[in-house]
Amino acid sequence: MPKQKLNPLPSAAFQILLALVDEDLHGYGIMRRVEDQTEGRMRLGPGTLYSSIRSLLEAKLIEEIDARADAGAGSERRRYYRLISAGRKLVRSEAERIADLLRVARSKKILRGAHV
Amino acid sequence: MSEKVYAWLLRLYPASFRERYGEEALQLFRDRARDEKGLVRRLRLWLDLVADLAISVPREYYYFEPELLGASADQRLGGIPSFVVIEGGSPRPGALFSGGVLTMLVVTTCSFFLSQAGPYTRRRVFTAASSQSHRYKDSSAFGGQASPTGAEGGNGTSPFGRSVVGGKAGEMSNSQTEALPPDSPDSQPPTQLPEDAGNASIFHAARGHATVDATERHRVIHAAAANLKQYYVYPEIARKTSDALLAHEKNGDYNAVKDGGVLADLLTKHMRDASQDMHLDVLYSREPLRDPPLRASPESIQRYREFIEHNNCTFAKVEILPHHIGYLKLNSFPDLSVCEATARAEMNRLNDAAAIIFDLRENRGGDPDMVMLLAAYLFDHPEYMYNPREDTTQKSWTRSPVPGNKLADKPVYILTSGWTSSAAEHFSYDLKMLKRATLVGETTSGAAHSGVFHRIDEHFGMGIPETKPINPFSKNDWAGVGVEPDEKVKAADALEAAIKLAQAKLRK
Repeated sequence: MPKQKLNPLPSAAFQILLALVDEDLHGYGIMRRVEDQTEGRMRLGPGTLYSSIRSLLEAKLIEEIDARADAGAGSERRRYYRLISAGRKLVRSEAERIADLLRVARSKKILRGAHV
Repeated sequence: MSEKVYAWLLRLYPASFRERYGEEALQLFRDRARDEKGLVRRLRLWLDLVADLAISVPREYYYFEPELLGASADQRLGGIPSFVVIEGGSPRPGALFSGGVLTMLVVTTCSFFLSQAGPYTRRRVFTAASSQSHRYKDSSAFGGQASPTGAEGGNGTSPFGRSVVGGKAGEMSNSQTEALPPDSPDSQPPTQLPEDAGNASIFHAARGHATVDATERHRVIHAAAANLKQYYVYPEIARKTSDALLAHEKNGDYNAVKDGGVLADLLTKHMRDASQDMHLDVLYSREPLRDPPLRASPESIQRYREFIEHNNCTFAKVEILPHHIGYLKLNSFPDLSVCEATARAEMNRLNDAAAIIFDLRENRGGDPDMVMLLAAYLFDHPEYMYNPREDTTQKSWTRSPVPGNKLADKPVYILTSGWTSSAAEHFSYDLKMLKRATLVGETTSGAAHSGVFHRIDEHFGMGIPETKPINPFSKNDWAGVGVEPDEKVKAADALEAAIKLAQAKLRK
């Protein structure tokens, strides 16, 4: 059953992959980045966040890197997560899939306002 | 404080999740709590957390503890329970304590409600019996001789809500078996009564809740009139009764009747008024009657035998009370061919009793041969027992005296309720009329079951007596009216009252 849970890719997992495209982040960092990139629409709770991270780790889409002191949040040592090539490939293909959807939606004129 | 609350909530997750991500989740909470201050933001934080818990906890178990989902299926394999360990570590002492307290609480609660259930059930039995007895008085012909088994079938709803027509409803009503018993082939009357309990159960459950149109009404009335002429044992009364029905129809007395059950009751009343025979009966079933009726399968016969043997032939209690009063609670009159040895053994256990109480308050009837067997112990000479279902033959006399029996001259008390029916009424009525027993309790249900069942159409049938038994005691028996007790008390108080009567008698 766990093998099936990233197919289709849940939106939380997709947002986490997207958040890790630019840099390695710890859990709270991922949560904040996702909040920013969705303009506050998605605030991942700890359960959803770490459940998704576990799935992504098991699918070898991200990796865990050695805990390190976080300069911005005191001296706690935290686990960081890094996007690896399979994850990067998946996030790209998912983004392309969404872009295709957008193109179809635009051609059917169901989107209003500027081009997305 | 709030961190402690969240740490406690984290325990809802599976252990594997907590071990791996518990600390990080708590850290994330700390980070958010540090950054999100103020009432509104703090409120939003907690809303997020609660929503997150609601979604992610079930998902964690669903994805990562599949054993939980598989466990219930595994338990059914080969009937052997299987257990899955889903937590690796030992429980904390606190968890053990909480589990112990919770278990005690659940067991105490269950015990409390179970202890309440006993008296409630009994009250319901007697209340139902009292309130429904009148209703069943109108429907006796669907059981009894009409029974394919030849037994005096219980005819009505069991204490557990089942309805039974024909067959040994006594056993069924008190034990919820689905098997209908057989009887000896030579005792099978010519009958069309449905034999299986499922089919038979329809009569009362379905009575009076469906409409009939003018055409069906006309057909039923004329079929009833024709059946009377063809089958009723007294041709002159048959003609008179048949004419009465047609006259009522001509007068338009049935025109307003749209309900099948009401029509059946009205026809029954008019037949009884004209004939003065309470054994005549028309009944209505909302569910279609099978035609031809099912015969009891060998499997159901075997099931009945096994059931009845397993339940001590419905001799629910046999004991000697203080003052050497024998007490026998019999919940049916079971098939003699299966239960003769048990019945004799139980009667022998009471052989030294100074008086004997038969508790028939939950007895819905059964085999007339068993009635005769038990009655034989109460006489020192063959005694005639009137049975409205059978012509008077040699079998109508008890096979008394029973060798070695000492009960023939002992005082006898019979406990009755509005639920007591059929064969149990046969036993009570005859012993009362013979002044051999004192009846204590309530008027019985009035189910004589002496008619042979005739199917009229898919929904209507009627019971018509086809025998001429001799009733030396009175013009009418208990059909439709029940057997009146000598000492009228509530069924629930009948045992106490009978014991007092017996003690008073024994002191003399």
